[in-house]
Amino acid sequence: MTESPPADNSPEINPAIRAMMRAARDMLRHEHSLLGSLGLKPLLLGAGKTSFSLALPERFGDGSGNVDSGFLTVVLDSLFGLTVFTAMKEFKPIATINLRADYLREAACGTLAVCDCICEGIRNEIAYVSGRLTVESDKSLIAIGSGAFMVGTRGPSKGSRL
Amino acid sequence: MSAPFDLSRIAALAASPMGQWLGFTAVLDGDGAVYRLSFSEEHIGNPMIRALHGGVIAAFLETAMRADLTARLETTAAVSVVNMAIDYLASSRAEDMQGRVRLLRLGRRVAFLEATGWQQAENAPVAVGRACLRIA
Repeated sequence: MTESPPADNSPEINPAIRAMMRAARDMLRHEHSLLGSLGLKPLLLGAGKTSFSLALPERFGDGSGNVDSGFLTVVLDSLFGLTVFTAMKEFKPIATINLRADYLREAACGTLAVCDCICEGIRNEIAYVSGRLTVESDKSLIAIGSGAFMVGTRGPSKGSRL
Repeated sequence: MSAPFDLSRIAALAASPMGQWLGFTAVLDGDGAVYRLSFSEEHIGNPMIRALHGGVIAAFLETAMRADLTARLETTAAVSVVNMAIDYLASSRAEDMQGRVRLLRLGRRVAFLEATGWQQAENAPVAVGRACLRIA
């Protein structure tokens, strides 16, 4: 009697999505001026889960030495979108429907931070995402957020995103 | 606590690194202001679509709400954002965005505001945001 290896129940990313994620990672690093300027480094790219580290940049400061809360929204929106892609079975364009962010503490420019995001589910062509931004050294919360994305938008359009 | 609307109070906010990155400006309009995001290529979200990044729109409306509250306060109290929520109503274009802010409620320690952003026409909003701001 042979013993079969234990079933691997860990979620796998669809190969097409994985290839797209690699392209997105390269875009983050090299090609896209906004996302490239965020200095994001991927720590985890799983099915419906992502984690990135970044140093909060001085160029997005609020004038008092802290990073502007608006910058945190840029980070959350960017990484929420990427996280939705990791949860999809096939590539489809997406659009943010809405976003919410709670800012728990100020963070000085230069602080090393980690942003963990989860796609909680996709139902009726709507993806639900949540995430938290923490200080890398002591894990204290900087911001938490959640968002909803339309999956399968028609791409470039003249009017509705939905 | 409320005072005559004074745009000179938002100079520091507009001159901050984030304010500069957004190209954030304001002009008086009636008893309030119209705020502007000056488009830059760095504000693009998806290069294939060439629309403003959703986070950039959120940051602009959030900055507009902070500016608006600051301009309305009679003290030089610090204003910070407790939380904000934004709904994206329509596709944006790779061009300037304007915004107007409505003060919903001004309390002693917090204020609630709503901001509407548009590009082609004010009656065709691209996004609407609401925020709770801390006054300290």
